[in-house]
Amino acid sequence: MAIVHMAGQGKNVVLKGKVIDSMDGYPLIGVSVIAAGQGAYTDVDGNYQISIPDVKCEVTFTYVGYEDEVKVYTTKNASAFSKIVMYMNATELEDVVVTGVYERKKESFTGASATFKADQLKSVGNNNVLQSLKTLDPSFKMMESTQFGSNPNMMPDIEIRGKTSVMGLKEEYGTDPNQPLFILDGFETTLETIMNLNMNRVASVTILKDAASTAIYGSKASNGVVVIETKAPARGRLQLSYKGDFGLSLADLSDYNLMNAREKLQFETLAGVYKDNSGNPFNQIRLDNLRNERLKEIERGVDTYWLSEPIRPGFTHKHNIYAEGGEDKIRYGIGLSYGDVDGVMKGSDRQTIEGNVDLIYRTGKFQFSNKLTIDYVKTADPTVSFAEYAYANPYYRKYGADGKVSRYLYYPEEGLEDFPVSNPLWNASLNSWARTGSFGFTNNFILEWFMTDALRARAKFGLTRADDDEQSRISPLHTRFDDMGETEKGLYTNTRVNQMVYEGDASITFGKLFADKHMVNAVGGFNFSSNRQQIYGYSANGFTDDQFDAPSFANGYPVSEKPEYKESLKRAVSFYVNGGYVYDDRYLMDFNYRLDGASMFGTGNRFRNTWSVGAGWNIHKESFMEGNDFFSFMKLRGSVGNPGNQNFSAYQAFSTYKFNGWMTNIFGTGVILNALGNTELAWQETVNYDLGADLTFWGERINLTFDYYWKDTDPLLAVITTPGSMGVTSIAMNAGRQKTQGWETTFRISPIYRPSEGINWNISFNATSSKSRYADIGNSFSALNESGKTSLVGTTRYYDGGSPTAIWAVRSAGIDPATGQELFIKKDGTYSFTYDVNDEVVVGDMQPKVEGLFGTSLYLKGFTAGCYIRYRWGGQVFNTSLFQKVENIGTEDVYNNQDKRALYDRWSEDNREAYFKGISMVQKTEKSSRFVMDDNALIGESFNIGYEFPDRMIRRMRISALNVQLTMTDMFRATSVRVERGIDYPFARSVTMAVGITF
Amino acid sequence: MKRIFTYMIVLAGLLAAGGCSKWLDVKPYDKIAEDELLLTEEGYMKLLNGIYIELNRDMLYGASLSVEMIEIMGGAYTVGTDNSVWGNYRDLAEYQYGTQYWRARMNETWNKAYSLILNCNMLLENIESDRKLFTEDNYRMVKGEALALRAMLHFDMLRLFGPVYSRNPQQKSIPYYKAYSVTPNDVLPASEVASEITHDLLEARILLANDPVREEGTMMESPSDGSSNFLRYRSLRLNYYAVSALLARSALYFGDKEAAYEYAMEVIKSGAFPFVDRALVTGSPDDPDRIFSSEVIFALSHSQRNTLFKNYYDPSRIPNYVFRMDNDLMSNVVFGGGAATGGNQDDYRYRVNWVATGANRYFYKYSDMNDTGNIRNTMIPMIRLGEMYLIAAECQSEDIAGGTAYVNALRSNRGVTNVPELTKEILQYEYIRELYGEGQLFFMYKRMFTPVMFSSQPSKNPQPDERIFVVPLPDSETEN
Repeated sequence: MAIVHMAGQGKNVVLKGKVIDSMDGYPLIGVSVIAAGQGAYTDVDGNYQISIPDVKCEVTFTYVGYEDEVKVYTTKNASAFSKIVMYMNATELEDVVVTGVYERKKESFTGASATFKADQLKSVGNNNVLQSLKTLDPSFKMMESTQFGSNPNMMPDIEIRGKTSVMGLKEEYGTDPNQPLFILDGFETTLETIMNLNMNRVASVTILKDAASTAIYGSKASNGVVVIETKAPARGRLQLSYKGDFGLSLADLSDYNLMNAREKLQFETLAGVYKDNSGNPFNQIRLDNLRNERLKEIERGVDTYWLSEPIRPGFTHKHNIYAEGGEDKIRYGIGLSYGDVDGVMKGSDRQTIEGNVDLIYRTGKFQFSNKLTIDYVKTADPTVSFAEYAYANPYYRKYGADGKVSRYLYYPEEGLEDFPVSNPLWNASLNSWARTGSFGFTNNFILEWFMTDALRARAKFGLTRADDDEQSRISPLHTRFDDMGETEKGLYTNTRVNQMVYEGDASITFGKLFADKHMVNAVGGFNFSSNRQQIYGYSANGFTDDQFDAPSFANGYPVSEKPEYKESLKRAVSFYVNGGYVYDDRYLMDFNYRLDGASMFGTGNRFRNTWSVGAGWNIHKESFMEGNDFFSFMKLRGSVGNPGNQNFSAYQAFSTYKFNGWMTNIFGTGVILNALGNTELAWQETVNYDLGADLTFWGERINLTFDYYWKDTDPLLAVITTPGSMGVTSIAMNAGRQKTQGWETTFRISPIYRPSEGINWNISFNATSSKSRYADIGNSFSALNESGKTSLVGTTRYYDGGSPTAIWAVRSAGIDPATGQELFIKKDGTYSFTYDVNDEVVVGDMQPKVEGLFGTSLYLKGFTAGCYIRYRWGGQVFNTSLFQKVENIGTEDVYNNQDKRALYDRWSEDNREAYFKGISMVQKTEKSSRFVMDDNALIGESFNIGYEFPDRMIRRMRISALNVQLTMTDMFRATSVRVERGIDYPFARSVTMAVGITF
Repeated sequence: MKRIFTYMIVLAGLLAAGGCSKWLDVKPYDKIAEDELLLTEEGYMKLLNGIYIELNRDMLYGASLSVEMIEIMGGAYTVGTDNSVWGNYRDLAEYQYGTQYWRARMNETWNKAYSLILNCNMLLENIESDRKLFTEDNYRMVKGEALALRAMLHFDMLRLFGPVYSRNPQQKSIPYYKAYSVTPNDVLPASEVASEITHDLLEARILLANDPVREEGTMMESPSDGSSNFLRYRSLRLNYYAVSALLARSALYFGDKEAAYEYAMEVIKSGAFPFVDRALVTGSPDDPDRIFSSEVIFALSHSQRNTLFKNYYDPSRIPNYVFRMDNDLMSNVVFGGGAATGGNQDDYRYRVNWVATGANRYFYKYSDMNDTGNIRNTMIPMIRLGEMYLIAAECQSEDIAGGTAYVNALRSNRGVTNVPELTKEILQYEYIRELYGEGQLFFMYKRMFTPVMFSSQPSKNPQPDERIFVVPLPDSETEN
């Protein structure tokens, strides 16, 4: 195609050719071509023509969003310029949907997805990718853990567009059945890996939500998919960059509302702690003395604030160095990351070291790329939980008379049936610890063959090995061993978890534009994976010394304990096909089919089909929209499909046996059934419908996305308790279904939008809402319902038509002013003082009616600022703090410190209009609507300011880019209900400064 | 390079075509997969033996259904009123099945019995297709014993939780599981359960037709050549005669006296279970064969059987309760009272099993013999020859007096004189003498619908009542 001319005496040559997109073969329009001081652009068909002197020179093709393509003209290779393939820049994939299996232009994709680039993620937070995603996309939810607060070593529960599996069964499965699938650089990975991943390595994150986008992952996809791409090394001279994050977190104790010393003593007095019930006058004298002793201490000014003891400011620093470079054939990147996160509780620590090597080698039509990552994570956790400090009474002194930490806060006299109160500070001061070391190795290799313009083949193989070593030790001096013999004190436990995962994949991708109007894309492939996990564990006891803690100093093993060994092996294979057809850029169609086979499912149901179809309409490309400058983008799309869920344990479909090792007889050994399998167990699948619209208008200033979806999970897979006569008490079964519908929207407006001047001001708003209910479950969960009814605080029930998040309790009409008793409303509307569990109705729903974020960001010539505020409205919560720490304070709890409200607003003959019952140790309070409160909240989730230094300022320092950013997370929280949060570990607010330097 | 790709695609295709299903067939390593266990006849034998071993659990015949719970219900022991000593036993002696403790205990027994029934069903379900794995007659032996175990467990659950059969045979009782199932079976009327039990036992009896016990007896010792014990120690397995004996027991319970007589007589006439050698009882007063082991048709083998004695009967047991018979009942009725009761202190069953410590006599049936390695020290009798004589006596005709000879035949081997004429009361006393501490007394009273004999004073004995005899189905059954 390229023709070499001879023109006059100065030898000139004309290079001609076409520039196309590597992905779909589309011609690229307006690519600038520069060589030897000459410049040209490609035309509407992607063709260019440039006349240059016929000497050796570099020809550079540049195009926004694509990597520069540099080719050397050697005077003999003009024909090599007839076709130039350009690659999209991985860091600027704004308009591309990356599914991990294939990529599609957003414009021609029918699925519901959201893509976020590195700088967007970084702009809202520096902790980890998921933390930022939560702020950016309303459908991505990270569950707040009231129990574990901001413990850096706790993995969060994550869900996209709500739960699809029966709740409360996480323990039974080992893996959270509602967790989305995580794909890192095209390979399946774990939540933990993503949490450990240094954010500075991330190029983009895509959330796939509906059937059209997730169905390519078949039976793993019903919870949604999070696709994370790390940065690929860029071409060019060696470039070194440094990114650093420095943070400070402080515990947020504002949700605690504990009594002070005087209040606590008053409360105890009212509750009758100092009143003898046995009729023994000596005991009454003793109790009087005890109270007087405590009162004297209070008069002396003792009012200990225990909550401040275990906490500290937590410092965080993370560093990432990355060197990258290379030329046409070889590109390389070498990175090293280190992170140290100190939690806000003393002794809580998480260190991560990660090294990675990325290599890309390209020759002819082949490209090899390999990503190797090795990481080591070291964690430490406090051994005394935060709750123990919250329990400690404020009238006790921290230190004994000798100025040392005393072992007990209170020790009863000899012969009394009273329990000693141990000092949490004493137990925390001992040589007790809980540590984990995890080593991980991941190598992902990809081989690509660009067969023709339209056809590409790819083979992938990934290998991951992870070894965890968890050790914990409780000192023999710990007060919990007080009643044990000397040879049983102290406890050491060790659990090792080894995991070996491999995954392989081969696929062929086709993409071609026919007759300028018919764009056809297709992918077909084969995938296999295997995951083997082994768990070894043992414990030892009988330590005699606090200081010397090696397991070798143990006396032996705890009585009747044996070593633990568990192994599970899961394997899966699948075949998949994806096809997309676009007519004239206007009408879009997608379909997916995947056949999955997995070892977890019974031979009767080993394989499963997943399908999806999607359709879309690009209205802005229609001829009637031509000349309309207002709408630059307007798309309607819809999809339906049936992705599945296989986050279930390995052998539940198979019956297994074990030796009954407790006895043998003259006939030798015996075996009996260990677990009854259900070979007919069917896969859990969710039929998923989605209707959506994407709009951009007013000169790109307003951006609106709206999705309405409904899902039907049928059948649910759950562990059901069975009648004892079946021979087992529970079995994994298919039972009933769950239907969910919801909507979500994101809206962004830029009142000031002057990109050419570097000024941009955005206001964003997003919202999500969903509702679920059970159907066809019948009596399958009656045992769970019964145990929920009798449990202390369980308010979740499983009934047809009921919501998984509904709060079930008996309605309350409040406290009867005359008697101080609670008045209940029965099912038929009548009033009664008698509590009957069968009067339970739905009194609230934990799912908010609407939840989301609003925020604003400003970009002004290198200066950025943003703030994101989460709102939650229309949900309810069962206030366990009121239920357990105000009323229902039992005979033992009364010795723990309690919520201030336990003292005030209590019914008495002088205060008849109180909200709470009278103070009593023996009166049991039942679960009623009195403790159900509206849970509306405003949370200052993320605030940030940043500055990108302009070129002229930093060039002298030989730095090519320099930026700093300050981010503050969870700075404030305004809620309509006051509940203690962070029981075992407090929540934290944090401030982080991020620095990025590229040399 | 292109060739490599071609290879990969071909490889993928091959994997896909043939290997997939196989590759997905993952076998656990930390547990025993069913199809690996049941690859050989030894695997089946291990599973069968596992079921026998599990019968020794405390919630089944290791305590609850042999010496403890069921015997309290059967009035065998005098239960004090001091809660700190007797704990929950007081409630049980008053038949308060609704207490949390006894509900939980009944639930345990029920769940364990049905879990072993499930084990039998897993075995029975698989054995049909694996018939070829078995040598000689072993297929029939294994299957027969498993069927008999299934029937026996159902029968005991029916006797415990079912209605008083003689009065309400149509009443809903328990479910009968004949196959592994992931959906619960219905609770059936007692008569339907009865026919299932009989059916299973009859089938077992046919399968066990070639049981070596019929030709060679119980063979209670290991072969000298060290070969397998599988076809030996027959009274530790549900052998042919044990199945006949169970048929006799169940036929009587279901009111079919004719059949009960037939089966009882078959066992009696077989001669496979000779009466205990006098020399082993009176000849060695310091070390008698207290369970009359040669008469035991079927026994469990419990490696720590002396815990039954130590946990419940040992007079040196401190600090709590010791199970023993009411003194007055023992001296005036069961082992006293002369011709009117048939009670006599010369009775071997009194001389070897009731040992005086202080003012009381204590029950020594489960105390070990001196020879520690002896298989007899492991036996928990489940059904014995004496019961066959009592069944024959009760069933020979409508007139109970006609059975006097059978009772006297038994008594002559117990060292006591004849009773002149058998009455229902004397028959019951004979049951107490013969089967004390073996978990059968409650079922006898329930079958005959007569007062439970805690005491020699009739006023102190609870009158027959459904409330006493019918244990409510466990929570786990009704709530799920």
